Amino acid sequence: MLLQYLAFWLWDFLGHLHPLAVHFPVALLLFAAILELFTLKNFNSKLRHGIDALIIAGSLAGIISAVLGWLLYKNGDYSGNVLTLHQWIGFTTAALGVLTLISLYQIRKKDKFKQIIVYRGLLFFTAIGVSVAGHFGANLTHGGDFLTSTLPWSKDHKETKPTQKFDFVAFKAKAADTTKLDKKQEVELSTEVRAILAHNCYKCHGAEKVKGDLRLDGKHVAFKGGENGPVIIPGKPEESELYKRISLPADHEDIMPSKGGKLSQKDIDIVRFWIAKGAPWPEDGSKATVFRVAKLEPRNPVLPATSNNLTNPVDLWTNDYFKKNRISWPALVDDKIYLRRIYLDIIGLLPTPADQDAFSKDTRPNKRALWVKKLLSLDNDYALHWLSFWNDALRNDYSGTGYITGGRFNITDWLFKSLKANKPYDQFVKELISPTEQSKGFVEGIKWRGVVNSSQRTEMQAAQNVSQVFLGLNLKCASCHNSFISDLKLEDAYAFANIFADTTLEINRCDKPIGKFVDARMLWKELGTIDAKASVAEKRKQLAENLVRPEDGRLYRTIVNRVWAQLMGRGLVEPVDIMDNEPWSQDLLDWMAFNFVAKKADLKELIYQIATSNTYQLPSIGFKEVAMVNNPNYKFKGMVRKRMSAEQFTDVVSSVITPVFVDSNLRYNPFAEAIKGKLQAKPTFIRASLVANNGFLTALGRPNRETVATSRESQANLLQALELTNGVMFNNVLKTGAERWKANYPNTDVLIKEIYLKTLGREPAENEFKVAKQALGKSPDVDAIQDLFWAIVLLPEFQIIY
Amino acid sequence: MSWNRRDFLKNTSAATLAAMAAGIPLTNLLSSCIGKNNTSTADTVILLWMAGGMAHTDTFDPKKYTPFTKGMQANSVLSTFKSVPTILDGINFSEGLESIGKVMDKGTLIRSYKAGDMGHILHSRHQYHWHTCYKPPQSVSAPHLGSWIAKELGPLNPVIPAFIDIGQRFTLGEGEELKAFHTAGFLGNEFGPFLIPDPSAGLESVQPPVGMSSSRFEKRNKLYYDLISKSPLGEYGSDYQKESLKRSMEQAYILLKSPEAKAFDLSQEPKESYDIYNTGKFGLGCLMARRLAEQGARFISVTTEYEPFKGWDTHDNGYTRLIDMKKQIDGPIAQLIKDLEKSGRLDRTLVILASEFSRDMMVEGRPDAKVQEQVEQPDVIQDIKNYGMHRHFTEGGSMLMFGGGIKKGSVYGKTADERPCKTIENPIVIDQVHQTIYHALGISPDTNYLVEKRPFYTTPDGLGKPVLDLFA
Repeated sequence: MLLQYLAFWLWDFLGHLHPLAVHFPVALLLFAAILELFTLKNFNSKLRHGIDALIIAGSLAGIISAVLGWLLYKNGDYSGNVLTLHQWIGFTTAALGVLTLISLYQIRKKDKFKQIIVYRGLLFFTAIGVSVAGHFGANLTHGGDFLTSTLPWSKDHKETKPTQKFDFVAFKAKAADTTKLDKKQEVELSTEVRAILAHNCYKCHGAEKVKGDLRLDGKHVAFKGGENGPVIIPGKPEESELYKRISLPADHEDIMPSKGGKLSQKDIDIVRFWIAKGAPWPEDGSKATVFRVAKLEPRNPVLPATSNNLTNPVDLWTNDYFKKNRISWPALVDDKIYLRRIYLDIIGLLPTPADQDAFSKDTRPNKRALWVKKLLSLDNDYALHWLSFWNDALRNDYSGTGYITGGRFNITDWLFKSLKANKPYDQFVKELISPTEQSKGFVEGIKWRGVVNSSQRTEMQAAQNVSQVFLGLNLKCASCHNSFISDLKLEDAYAFANIFADTTLEINRCDKPIGKFVDARMLWKELGTIDAKASVAEKRKQLAENLVRPEDGRLYRTIVNRVWAQLMGRGLVEPVDIMDNEPWSQDLLDWMAFNFVAKKADLKELIYQIATSNTYQLPSIGFKEVAMVNNPNYKFKGMVRKRMSAEQFTDVVSSVITPVFVDSNLRYNPFAEAIKGKLQAKPTFIRASLVANNGFLTALGRPNRETVATSRESQANLLQALELTNGVMFNNVLKTGAERWKANYPNTDVLIKEIYLKTLGREPAENEFKVAKQALGKSPDVDAIQDLFWAIVLLPEFQIIY
Repeated sequence: MSWNRRDFLKNTSAATLAAMAAGIPLTNLLSSCIGKNNTSTADTVILLWMAGGMAHTDTFDPKKYTPFTKGMQANSVLSTFKSVPTILDGINFSEGLESIGKVMDKGTLIRSYKAGDMGHILHSRHQYHWHTCYKPPQSVSAPHLGSWIAKELGPLNPVIPAFIDIGQRFTLGEGEELKAFHTAGFLGNEFGPFLIPDPSAGLESVQPPVGMSSSRFEKRNKLYYDLISKSPLGEYGSDYQKESLKRSMEQAYILLKSPEAKAFDLSQEPKESYDIYNTGKFGLGCLMARRLAEQGARFISVTTEYEPFKGWDTHDNGYTRLIDMKKQIDGPIAQLIKDLEKSGRLDRTLVILASEFSRDMMVEGRPDAKVQEQVEQPDVIQDIKNYGMHRHFTEGGSMLMFGGGIKKGSVYGKTADERPCKTIENPIVIDQVHQTIYHALGISPDTNYLVEKRPFYTTPDGLGKPVLDLFA
């Protein structure tokens, strides 16, 4: 019994020596390998004896480390794939070390010099082995992101922002002499502490997860403490478990937070100071939020003075931002790139060679603005392009779940006509929220047959979708329980959902009714009231009127940010659905939203404003990882490169090569009346926004619109590549296109030039021409032309909007 | 890993080469670390999907047999087939499933599945629930089981897509509803299913376009790379989108050219073996699943195909139609298990047979919470078309599990022998089924991703528990 006990702690103890012991083989063997490099020319150099000693010591240390490591694994609580990898590399390396030693012995004692190469090979592999094993071992103790998290583009990069507004040094200096803080100071300090707790501790010590029986998300529970008693002893930080645990060394087993890394020294100091000052937690303090909340009211910041000949207010703000961030204005993009951008961004098509020609010959000084205006006036093309963006956001599609049992309504006719007429945005929103028969599909949601989760009943869907799409606010959490990511409460969500409900809904917490009811009301009381007793139609109307009033800065900032993101590849605020996040320029966002309202909420005017700015004309910025774009420390330097959407890609193929769709694919015909009245010629091809979703469009990223989608993946993937490489539909389109082109362009040289001009907007360079010509041969057949088309439309140069 | 050494070397080298050629950074190969622990008992999952609601009392859990006679009382019928013995003592299957009965010493029979309660029955909603573990609708797009696995573990052999779905067309009734869960949801299209609606044309999905010769395919690919290298990339270079486009094009090319792609070609199968599997689309699907498993596929779903009122969706003629359904599945499934065992792969391959719910002649939904009836059932049966399990029953159901660390020759759970034939012992719900699969694969139950800042788990709130009793 005793022996067993002894054995247990002894093994445990030895195991814990592993992290110490491993440094020996790593250092010794690596050093041996390095020295070995100097003996390559002469095996028996002066270094030989030293190397011998290093290898003997190193390989023995390797075996010891491996054994200790095994003990640590047996008694420790490590697991996972990294461990497995570390283990096997570790064992293999220990074995390699021994083999190295044996072969060395053979050479040294038995003069088997032929083995030198084997020995050296083994030694170098061993050296690589210890490094790799060491790397994974370090990942286990410090976490895989230990190194990379310090890099500014890492998504784990610690933001220092949350505490920036709280000047602790000044605060401490002021409060140092007083034994008791005044009321204002108490509120300030405790709010700061609660922000630290919220960002670092709630995840495990909150309402959802109560590790060690400890909750820190409320005054009462925090002071009550956990399974081992109180964790905060007011006035005595050194005796408070909370302070003790957060101030432990980072590699200590008991450090808190146990996941996610040690708190910054400043945060630790703040907590210490707070406890020392008696750990005040005034009730007023609880009203102050720990989450960033964007201002609701509109703001009209005074424009910076004109400089650098800039006139567009967007540019004045960018200039202001550039100055603050020490960024200089690069030269603007040339005509070719600009024209391609505005065509794709405004009407979703490429300029024809004739367009390009006309544009380059246009000598008017303000020709870029004039062409933007011209494109915006192409009502049909504009509407057909932006239809896809709005279909995603409003969850509108020709087919999908719900239609089968009459539980969903299509709003395409209303949407297309609204876009074509460039309905003012306030009007547009009102008609969606307080809908007619034609526009009711959005707030009516998708009704499935049978019983659904209470957080997914159609009234709640309406509340979630209205707040997400129009207000950039996530109500999804709060529709099930009080949100952990914002100050929204379950009650707020139900109050908002009740606007869409016939009878007051019983509040459900995590799908369990709790016997409480709440009257319909706005999410912000500043935005007006709702008559809870009124009919649904009346309540929706009140909501619509309340939401679109100019005082609702949120609604207008949200749409301005969405349009900005469509054109610039990234929003001023990201993600575009979380408008409480900080924009990279608050002034620019505020000014644009204010100006948008002043210009009668004209979406085309907004696009014009952006597309004619120098800011839009900056060279595009590429990025290597999505994390760099979503990083809160993102610095704006120009449009972020985008990839053509499924619809843009398909439409360009349709217009340049051959129509992808036939009449029978058409699910909504905006031209039916026009054609009947012979007012307008039938369009030459069917735009992708007018057909039902299919495998091809899905693979290229068109979402199935069961839920709101406000951005699309721009990453390519295998399934997409397969669809493009051997998909039947695309293959047939290219084939038909090749037949057409063969008939139209009997001259190979002309054909090559034309396809380059029409797709890439330029003539082929000499070497490209040669390659293409070689592929086509003297009198190209359909197959060869088809393959050339294929290769060209899959070029990044074609698919990326740069 | 049950490959023999030569296979292993061949496959790993092909795999590593493919991965390197495709430019997958090493970290990607390791990215599954977070979700995986080292106690897995399976590397591959094959789901045999009995689409449309398979009656347990007429398949793997037979009750008292009452043969058809004109004027019989409907309420007296519990099973429309005779019971036949299986290889397990005292365990009977319904007539027509003799071959599967003979391989039951290699797996576990589960007789206590309880489907979710969602009121008025809609097949696609229950199927959505079964495949994603979440009840529709959801405020975010929930990933399919196969997508979770693809995301967490990635492909076993990088040239074979990680998630392959065989046998379902989406152009039939409720196709849109099926699409809603045949998706990777918020995990992103990359992890979505590779669809092979028709296994006999499966090769077309992984070879150069129909009518394109191999040399032309090569030439086309060379042309592409020639033009890429000439295109003024520098100017727009080193892009996330550009790199991902190039990389995925390379992956596609590698797959289409790889020897592994032959797994999709059923004509390569010896005739004798092919004939055993060839009971129709489903049987050939099983054959393709076996061939893909041999080449290192990760998750394969083979369905009898859901089409309203077809297949297992027996709103009438239940008895007659089940004779045919059993013919389709019995031989191929038994052969699949035998083949996997013979090649030594069964140990690391988890094969699951399941359906969205069961059926009963009288009860619609649950016995104590009857829902709106959708099938007319006369109390007295005059016509054989009314003889069968035609109503949707959620309180009982059968599943089979083979391989992948599951007990051999075992039975789990029990249903009542009298109507309602509902689960009375060891009930299993979908959260447990999913967690059992993840457990076998070594995917941590805590696996989750932040979607719109909220954690979304593999099972709701990460609370699903594996049924450890099922494991050997």
